Amino acid sequence: MEGFLGVLAPYGEGIVIALHGIGMTLGVTAGAIILGMIIGLIMALGKLSKFKIARWPASVYVEIIRGTPLFVQVLILAYGVPYLVNTISEGAVRFNWQPLYLVGILACGFNSGAYLAEIIRSGIQAVDHGQTEAARSLGMTNGQNMRYIVLPQALKIILPAMANEFVTLIKETSILSYVGIVEITREGVLWASRDFETFPAYIGVAVVYLCLTIPLSRVVAYLEKRMGSSGPSMKKRKAGM
Amino acid sequence: MIRIENLTKSFGDNVVLRNISEHIVQNEVVCVIGPSGSGKSTFLRCLNRLETPTEGKIYLDDVLIEESNINEVRVKMGMVFQNFNLFPHKSVLDNITLAPIKVKRADRAQAEAEAVELLRKVGLEDKKDSYPDELSGGQKQRVAIARALAMKPEVMLFDEPTSALDPEMVGEVLEVMRELAVNGMTMVIVTHEMGFAREAANRVFFMDQGYIMEQGTPQQIFENPQNERTKSFLSKVL
Repeated sequence: MEGFLGVLAPYGEGIVIALHGIGMTLGVTAGAIILGMIIGLIMALGKLSKFKIARWPASVYVEIIRGTPLFVQVLILAYGVPYLVNTISEGAVRFNWQPLYLVGILACGFNSGAYLAEIIRSGIQAVDHGQTEAARSLGMTNGQNMRYIVLPQALKIILPAMANEFVTLIKETSILSYVGIVEITREGVLWASRDFETFPAYIGVAVVYLCLTIPLSRVVAYLEKRMGSSGPSMKKRKAGM
Repeated sequence: MIRIENLTKSFGDNVVLRNISEHIVQNEVVCVIGPSGSGKSTFLRCLNRLETPTEGKIYLDDVLIEESNINEVRVKMGMVFQNFNLFPHKSVLDNITLAPIKVKRADRAQAEAEAVELLRKVGLEDKKDSYPDELSGGQKQRVAIARALAMKPEVMLFDEPTSALDPEMVGEVLEVMRELAVNGMTMVIVTHEMGFAREAANRVFFMDQGYIMEQGTPQQIFENPQNERTKSFLSKVL
């Protein structure tokens, strides 16, 4: 029995060590989600604009971000940008990312923004055009129509897809370990190289990610199921209407 | 009240409205009838610029309707759609008060009191906290009428308001419209309800192939049509 526990002990330690990074992973993810939502909304509205001047930059942004690996984007931001700033200023500005997790929030936020733009755009387009006609016929401006009529309905439609994007984002922040942001994966990497408990270290990392993503995936499944039944307000249904 | 000058509308090569000139006066109830694809709905939608006219000018109270003043114009022109287009994420009360509060900057309490009054008029005051999905088609359309009336429009446009309804619900919607007509609301109604047109309209437009082929009082159109197209259409629908 003691031998069995002895074998398991490193795995427990691996989990505990990986758990140290959970705050950083969740913090960076939360920051990236907020940034990504803002960028995504702007880009979605840009892509749907009737003005070419707004459509064009939004399309280019989405194409570039979705057409390159997140890893490369992280490298450009973490190492490329400081190098560029220092070179252009001929050393007058000593730029480095302080605190380092800013790189994570920015890179993941920019990246997620492109994917969310497509999700939000599809949601806006899924709202029946009659809604817009009704709103406009009441004298609402384009902006009021978006804010009060279209976006709330679009949001409901895309909620599962958005939650899914957040699950993906949590996992993708592991790439940030490469540039030295000490999140879940980085904790595991550091412990593996210190104590050579390589297998338990990465299993611990995997378990911690699962603890984050499984509940979220359940939420996604629940939202999808709720979408299918497309009822009126949830409050009412619960109240037994 | 509404003056239409040389209105033409085409979608690509497809000419839907051909050089229509008309004048709709205050308190008038105009019913627009005609076969499918004759341009009736497009005509109505051009009036509040949900469709942009290809050519021609439309005036409301002698003011030219343009892209720059369209929101002010629309406040004065209520519109009711075939598919109701109620806002599904808002309660009946919020459906009605949203535009007065956001567009007219009305006081919320005042807007709600007026909304309840309008709901009473259309016989639905007990539904103010319901959501559109909980209403029947006839109830939805009555709420849609109340929503349009909440902006205190000068004109009401109806785009086939009973076409999406089960037959037993048509009556309750027509009843509300009849009430409006009796009370002097200026109305332009695209409809397939010939009985309603005959009884409630002051004037009937018969449209076909993008023209107003014939127009006149309901008696003239329904009892003594002159145009061959009108005769042939009426013989099929009556």
